[in-house]
Amino acid sequence: MKSEVLEKAGKKVVLLGNEAIARGALEAGVGVVTAYPGTPSSEVPMTLSRLAEKQGFYFEYSVNEKVALETAAGAAWSGVRSLVTMKHFGLNVASDSLMPIAYTGVDAGLVVFVADDPQAWGSTQSEQDSRYYARLAKIPMLEPSNPQECLEMTKEAFELSEEFEIPVLLRTTTKVSHAIGTVQLGKMAKIESRGHFEKDPKRFYNFRPALQELHRKLNEKLERVCSSELPTRLEAAASAANRAWQFAPAEGARNKLRYYNKIFPGDGDIGIVTSGVSFEYVKEAVRILEINPPIAKLGLTHPISKDLITDFIKDKKAVLIVEELEPLIEASVRGVIERGSVTRLYGKDILPRVGEYTPEIILSALEKIFIRLGSTESRRDNHLVNFEEHKKQVEKATADLPPRKPVMCPGCPHRSTFYAVKKVFGENTTYIGDIGCVMLGAFEPFKMQDIILSMGAGVSIAHGISRVSNQEVIAFIGDSTFFHAGMPALLNYKFNNDRSPLVVVMDNGITAMTGHQPNPGSNSEIKIEEIANALGAEVRVASAFSQKSLTAALEELKEIKGPRVLVSRGECRLLTKRKMRKKGQSFSTFEITDSDEFKKSKLMDDFACPAFQKVDGRYRIDPEMCWGCTVCSQICPKGIRKE
Amino acid sequence: MLFIMNFNILLTGVGGEGVLTAQVILARAANLEGHHVRGVQLHGLAQRGGSIPTMVRFGSENEISSPAIMQADADLVLAFEPLEAVRAVHYANKEKTVFVLDDEPYVPVYSHLLNKPYPTLDEIKEKIEPFAKEIYIVSARRMAKEKFGDDIFGNMILLGAAHGWGALPLEETSLREAIKSSAPRELEKNLKAFELGANL
Repeated sequence: MKSEVLEKAGKKVVLLGNEAIARGALEAGVGVVTAYPGTPSSEVPMTLSRLAEKQGFYFEYSVNEKVALETAAGAAWSGVRSLVTMKHFGLNVASDSLMPIAYTGVDAGLVVFVADDPQAWGSTQSEQDSRYYARLAKIPMLEPSNPQECLEMTKEAFELSEEFEIPVLLRTTTKVSHAIGTVQLGKMAKIESRGHFEKDPKRFYNFRPALQELHRKLNEKLERVCSSELPTRLEAAASAANRAWQFAPAEGARNKLRYYNKIFPGDGDIGIVTSGVSFEYVKEAVRILEINPPIAKLGLTHPISKDLITDFIKDKKAVLIVEELEPLIEASVRGVIERGSVTRLYGKDILPRVGEYTPEIILSALEKIFIRLGSTESRRDNHLVNFEEHKKQVEKATADLPPRKPVMCPGCPHRSTFYAVKKVFGENTTYIGDIGCVMLGAFEPFKMQDIILSMGAGVSIAHGISRVSNQEVIAFIGDSTFFHAGMPALLNYKFNNDRSPLVVVMDNGITAMTGHQPNPGSNSEIKIEEIANALGAEVRVASAFSQKSLTAALEELKEIKGPRVLVSRGECRLLTKRKMRKKGQSFSTFEITDSDEFKKSKLMDDFACPAFQKVDGRYRIDPEMCWGCTVCSQICPKGIRKE
Repeated sequence: MLFIMNFNILLTGVGGEGVLTAQVILARAANLEGHHVRGVQLHGLAQRGGSIPTMVRFGSENEISSPAIMQADADLVLAFEPLEAVRAVHYANKEKTVFVLDDEPYVPVYSHLLNKPYPTLDEIKEKIEPFAKEIYIVSARRMAKEKFGDDIFGNMILLGAAHGWGALPLEETSLREAIKSSAPRELEKNLKAFELGANL
């Protein structure tokens, strides 16, 4: 699909939040972009990777997020505006370097984009709230609420970073990054992608005692970010129904940072403090409830200006804080309130701390607060249904539907690998999984991920288990994950003389789950077997599309003591399919010729390719769904043949 | 431009590009008509054969801010797979929601593996009815296979059908313009498929 990300300045287009961030980076004249893909951040690097050559900036997918951040920092220290992008867990990996980078400060702007995933829509093992990192690293954080702000705040993040010589965290959640919306485009800036590094021992020798000086300076920078911030007030809206949400800064506002935080004056003495996508839900709720409370919408959520909060709450009898996940803004407001105010604070006592918010959660919460405090009648008749009642009916209608959990594509090399491993090692072996498409082995029919933790963790968890038990343990890991964090874990086997679990590297040649980003092994001379060998492991390579090759390799590896690795290689079938479609080719498909033989093979139960169908008691392979991998015909040669 | 305060469309189907393409077309058509547009796409794990609820909302800037549709607030459910239409009832309500759905099932492997039978089309209708003002069933994917040799054009037939049924407050010219900008590959077939659906 053709993106509108390069359309002319002034034009109104519809962009995905992540595309708007990419556009914002172009409008800021970004010179270097580094990334490791991860849902829900991936469309920022996917958009920018396609434009790098034409627009003249440097782009790379780095091996992992720590490498990506350090690369971007190096470029920023050489005077080139740099952006690094990652998902929430990626920031955990990168955080090791983020802390000292904050002390050192930056020359050209350095923006760290991180996307959180409350509700865990992606392959996500926690609902981490990355806003804590801004506090931990002591850096400013901007949080857009919608695609237009994604564009604006990306630009502003670069300016903020340069004005205060500090890296800036740009943080979104799934419903900001994956929201689409009308965006008015601005001017693209001239891109400067060449720079020069100047030595400066005072900044870059970050040891004691100079370190304390850097720390002091960092604290001062944060103070200045706070005090330079001047919220401007809007004229009160004429009426609730006709509320003006367009924010127009007052005449003579002191400085350019004024856009981050927006104070919307309203009626009454109950105020709302909110940020991110929650603001968008609040706007809809006040419209439906026909109320017009004063709202403080925070874009700069670290540091939070005490003056701003004090000023906002001073004439309020109650304030409701609306923020997803942890009560961070709430803590800041509470800190101000405790100094002698009578304002009653509502937040996580009435709103959930788990999962993402929805428009109905916010509507219900606002209704509760405003009725409880006597400021409005229930306006529920403005809305069509009773949510609780409706929910019960929905549950009734949807009970017992066959679930549509994530599933491996037809012809997926991983399905074949899982099948072979289970055949050789059985049900009772302990199987440790990993992130990416490998995790699809967690579901039926394989259920071969007794633990899934984080990138590369399976290899070391297997080591830990085998250190204290005699159980057979197998760790699965994908190619991209192996490069990202699996290599040190494998090296640790040889280093510590492990009796050694088997490591199965499922090499499909691409970072598949997040949308086919390249990794060091994609179309390259870099071979996982050579690396594994150099790290001290005995290695076998098998074709993922050959059960014979897989079984033979696994049988051999079963007898080997010491570090051992199977590289099961087979290209992501979705990628093969796309390549073939471009060339106008299609797969040769397979058909079931003997239904009894097919039934006897238990392929439907144990292999479960989505192309298998049972229609009126007869088995068939859907020719539209068969991607010609041949594996089922290897398992059941008497019942399946090429069409 | 037709005068509307706001209009909420839930598009649902099974992982693949068809749903997202339809969403972008609707969003761009609404933008061409000067509406303020919001919506949600999901990527990553959700796309791996899973169900993908995708949303488009448009109307005046003062009315539309949330990217997500509120519970029971969809005006139109566009279901590219019949079972997914049932899962969408969370967003539907008898007072106003029109369902336009493709009748060709895509049976998930979990139906067999977990022994949860796939409901018949009549059962599906029965489950949707308490949440639907109208239900319009189209054999879009089957038609696409017959007419164009590829069910990939089913999404355009369904989009056209929703338009022809009067379930979409968007002009034909802007929809066609949006198809041109969003689905340039095999544009002629895409436009024909849209027309076919519109004239059912």
